[in-house]
Amino acid sequence: MGKAVLVLRLAVRDLRRRPGHAALLLVAIAAATTTLSLGLVLRGAAEQPYQSTRAVTAGPDVVLSLAPQPGSTVDPSSLSEHLTAPGVTASSGPFPYTQRVVSIGGLSVHTWLQGRDSDVAKVDRPVLLTGEWTRPGGVVVEAGLAKAIGAEVGDAVDIGGRPFTVTGTAVTAAAEPYPKAAFAPFFSGAARPPLPTGGIDRGPVHGAPPADGFQLVPTGLMWLTEADTRTVAEPSMLAYVLSLKLAHPDGAPAFAAARSTVTERTVLAAETWQDVEASDGWALSKKQFSLMLGSSLLVLVAVASITVLVGGRMADQVHRAGLLKAVGATPALVAVVLLAEHLAIALLASGLGLAAARLLDPVLSDPGAGLLGGAGQASFTPGIVAVVVGVALSIAALATFVPAARAARISTTQALARTVRPPRRSSWLITLSARMPVPLLLGLRIAARRPRRTWLGVFAVATAITGIVASLAARASRLAESAPGLDPRLAMTQGLLVISVMLAVQATVNMICVAWATILDTRRSAALSRALGATPGQVSGGLSVAQLLPALGGALIGVACGLGLAQVLDDDPLAVPPYWQLAAVVLGTALIVVICTAIPARLGATRSAGELLHAA
Amino acid sequence: MSEVLRARDLRMTYGRDTGTVHALEGVDLDVERGETVAIMGPSGCGKSTLLQLLGGLQRSTRGQVWVDGRQIDALNERALSRMRQRAIGFVFQAFHLLEELTAVENVELPALLAGRSPSAARHRAAELLDQVGLAEHAGRLPVSLSGGERQRVAIARALSNDPLVVLADEPTGNLDSVATSEVLRLLDGLRAAGQTQVIVTHDARVAATADRLISMRDGVFVEETRLDRGPSGPLSELAGLEG
Amino acid sequence: MRATVAAGGQASHGIQLGVVQEVLLALLAREPSHGYQLRAGLQLALGPLADALKEGQVYVTLTRLERAGLVSSERVGQANQSERKVYDLTPAGQQRVVDWLADTTWPKPAPAEFHLKLVAAAAAGLADPRRIVDAQRNVVLTELVVVQRAALSEPPLSVAGLLLEGVVLRLQADLHWLEACARFWAEPAAPNRATSREDGHERSAARPRPADDVRA
Repeated sequence: MGKAVLVLRLAVRDLRRRPGHAALLLVAIAAATTTLSLGLVLRGAAEQPYQSTRAVTAGPDVVLSLAPQPGSTVDPSSLSEHLTAPGVTASSGPFPYTQRVVSIGGLSVHTWLQGRDSDVAKVDRPVLLTGEWTRPGGVVVEAGLAKAIGAEVGDAVDIGGRPFTVTGTAVTAAAEPYPKAAFAPFFSGAARPPLPTGGIDRGPVHGAPPADGFQLVPTGLMWLTEADTRTVAEPSMLAYVLSLKLAHPDGAPAFAAARSTVTERTVLAAETWQDVEASDGWALSKKQFSLMLGSSLLVLVAVASITVLVGGRMADQVHRAGLLKAVGATPALVAVVLLAEHLAIALLASGLGLAAARLLDPVLSDPGAGLLGGAGQASFTPGIVAVVVGVALSIAALATFVPAARAARISTTQALARTVRPPRRSSWLITLSARMPVPLLLGLRIAARRPRRTWLGVFAVATAITGIVASLAARASRLAESAPGLDPRLAMTQGLLVISVMLAVQATVNMICVAWATILDTRRSAALSRALGATPGQVSGGLSVAQLLPALGGALIGVACGLGLAQVLDDDPLAVPPYWQLAAVVLGTALIVVICTAIPARLGATRSAGELLHAA
Repeated sequence: MSEVLRARDLRMTYGRDTGTVHALEGVDLDVERGETVAIMGPSGCGKSTLLQLLGGLQRSTRGQVWVDGRQIDALNERALSRMRQRAIGFVFQAFHLLEELTAVENVELPALLAGRSPSAARHRAAELLDQVGLAEHAGRLPVSLSGGERQRVAIARALSNDPLVVLADEPTGNLDSVATSEVLRLLDGLRAAGQTQVIVTHDARVAATADRLISMRDGVFVEETRLDRGPSGPLSELAGLEG
Repeated sequence: MRATVAAGGQASHGIQLGVVQEVLLALLAREPSHGYQLRAGLQLALGPLADALKEGQVYVTLTRLERAGLVSSERVGQANQSERKVYDLTPAGQQRVVDWLADTTWPKPAPAEFHLKLVAAAAAGLADPRRIVDAQRNVVLTELVVVQRAALSEPPLSVAGLLLEGVVLRLQADLHWLEACARFWAEPAAPNRATSREDGHERSAARPRPADDVRA
């Protein structure tokens, strides 16, 4: 009991003695836990909205669409053989469809136009959100498309030069959300027919379609009457769609795979409910993935920061451990005190991280307009809380292990003598720096004194910039192929934005940690340089250079790794972010470094050099 | 004014309110060109503070300091640094060599900081190491040098920019008897060569290298002795030899 | 007959080398020598401290030693020219050298006379002990400076330099003790505590504070 009180008292005293250190540690761990919590919470948040939409709209298990090859036409009756296929329990259609450019409110969007005289059917009953079902001269706009292009009931629509009016907006579970809606002749689902070459291609089959044919571009979905559909459709682009319910929904992929075919005259595409669900969850799953990846990067940077922080305090901690040992404390007690401090900070940080994640979560888990109902507040299960707290505590324990082990290992006398690790020597850098202007001379030598810390700085900056650049690249590739209107896929960049901000915060914290440790470490040699005639400006310039060079190196490595990461992760071709963004990232890094180091270095440099030298 | 250093009514107070320490309570000092002055006193008498004020490493609470006829109290930090570069070489009790630099790299550092060319700085440093008898140790790190050798390197470093005055703070304070002799020989040689020096110490042996000895107690000068170098009395009396 | 310690005047700071007699005997232990060779040997070992060693002093001492039967001499060359004599140890002389080498007598370290001078001055109100201390300190300091300068002008590794270093270190110890005296007698209550503190003084005189490592 008495021992616990002692540990507590020592831990609290030490934390209060160094509030800045405790705060940095807190921010470093909290940034990592926030992102980690978000990533964990978003996992598994996507399924429910799709499932409820599917239930309400009697969503089909398989959608078969039949389109003519160029120069041919199709006969809808050829689809009827599938109605009697084994396992099919209900159907609706065939309904005619086509693809045309639709102009609405100044925007031109390639749109699938489906002929449905009624929203009533056994399978696939679109549910109206606003207005009423279509009538001659009217269109119902799929909700996701409506939101992206801002379509409302009563808006005028131009389809191939004919005027139409929006009569309503509706939700369906039978097609992928805007801008990914796709029917034959395109295969957007998992089921692909074997090609003559044996390969698999996402694109149009059998060569490029004629310029006035079906286009594989971002497309939305609208419903017209069947008559209007036939009227607006080019004869060579009139196709038919059939929605099927199966006895065993899980068998949909196999059913679809068996039916996707390409002949010289027609293309039959089959899309399953699983395909639609995956597409609905795409933005969210990208967010989840980027958050998980981001939180891993953040944990890495946090560990780097804490290593630097603890390393900077090493001399002091070891001395303190020595003091405690000298008055009779065992090494174990010393380690326990250190551990208690860091664990307390880690606990607080995981609490902060969970709270921050709870605030950010509703913003990130918006499922998209094309589904019924929100995702609901994603739940913080005990498992998630346990993982977050566990990771935070592991970080703290890791940070404590080194000084605790050191303190336990070295003798009390050594510890009391404050034997700090001697600085390293790098001959070629010293020789090289002799030819540089004074701030570079001092900076290079400071950087060379503690190579491990310098590399940690490079690593932390590189990690952070990797994440940020990968986010920018992903965003750039989204923008490069973005659909007209507000492409809902851009929502994924919210997750990337969170990651980028967190990484920037974390990298800044890391920078402060490195600068702090370096300034502590070089206080005496900085004072000496001033006694030998260096100006305060040169000394603080040297400190900045010592941080700036590794940070710039790290930033460049980070840019390269970030582009590489984006390339690996994104299935689309890499889109390099605009050069001004990359330049801004690198220059921003430099600016942050200069601010983080120049201020404390300047404060330190104006202190009396005499005192420092005499105290040493 | 032929004084290299001049101080008038220097006062220095540390701390505030209840915990004030009066390190200096009105000190006047003139150091002529070519003169070596030793300031002696027990630890805590304010002699180190005085040295730091003379070198512009700290600012006095009151009083004025002139270096080479120029008052330094009102100079900003940058100008003070330039002044130190040009006029002052410091020697410290704890040597304060940079551990990661070799002897010659330590010695050339002030010249590099003053913007001399690397080759000129290196050349001068090699000369100085030769002068302090450590030419063959130029490439060694401080950790492999003895205390006396380290202090000799530090003295060579202090001379790097041909300073008007060398300010030495307890230069023998961390040294054993043999190393002290090495350093005293060096300081005495500098005095003989006309180098202006101010040495604060509580080691009476250091006074032997001085032209003038000032005793200090409790922040004030209490006594001043000119140590002429005329013929001294027969030393044999000290031996107590009897037939 | 050895010089006693702390006898005031110059001897109080001096190195009590003992008598020259034993030294000459020891120098003869290696090989028979001329008087001038012995003198040169002494000068080398003593350096500047040998300045006042008068030329005649060696011969006077040798004559005494011969008379005491510790040394024998043989004339070489012209008669009655003492510098032509070669001296050698007799067995008694050899025994005397052995005894001398084994002797561990050391100068008594207590500066009792000066200490009592201060106590008496304070008790009788004759003079301010602090002024006595200051004056003494000046003398010792000046002496130290002179010897240290002599030491500095010796070449490194000279045997005489070693002796000079011994002088300097002892004078330094004296200075440290004088500093302690100054502090003690500066206290307002010092004279009243003089008797009770006597032990402490003797200890501080016997083991002077280490010189320079006071600063933390």
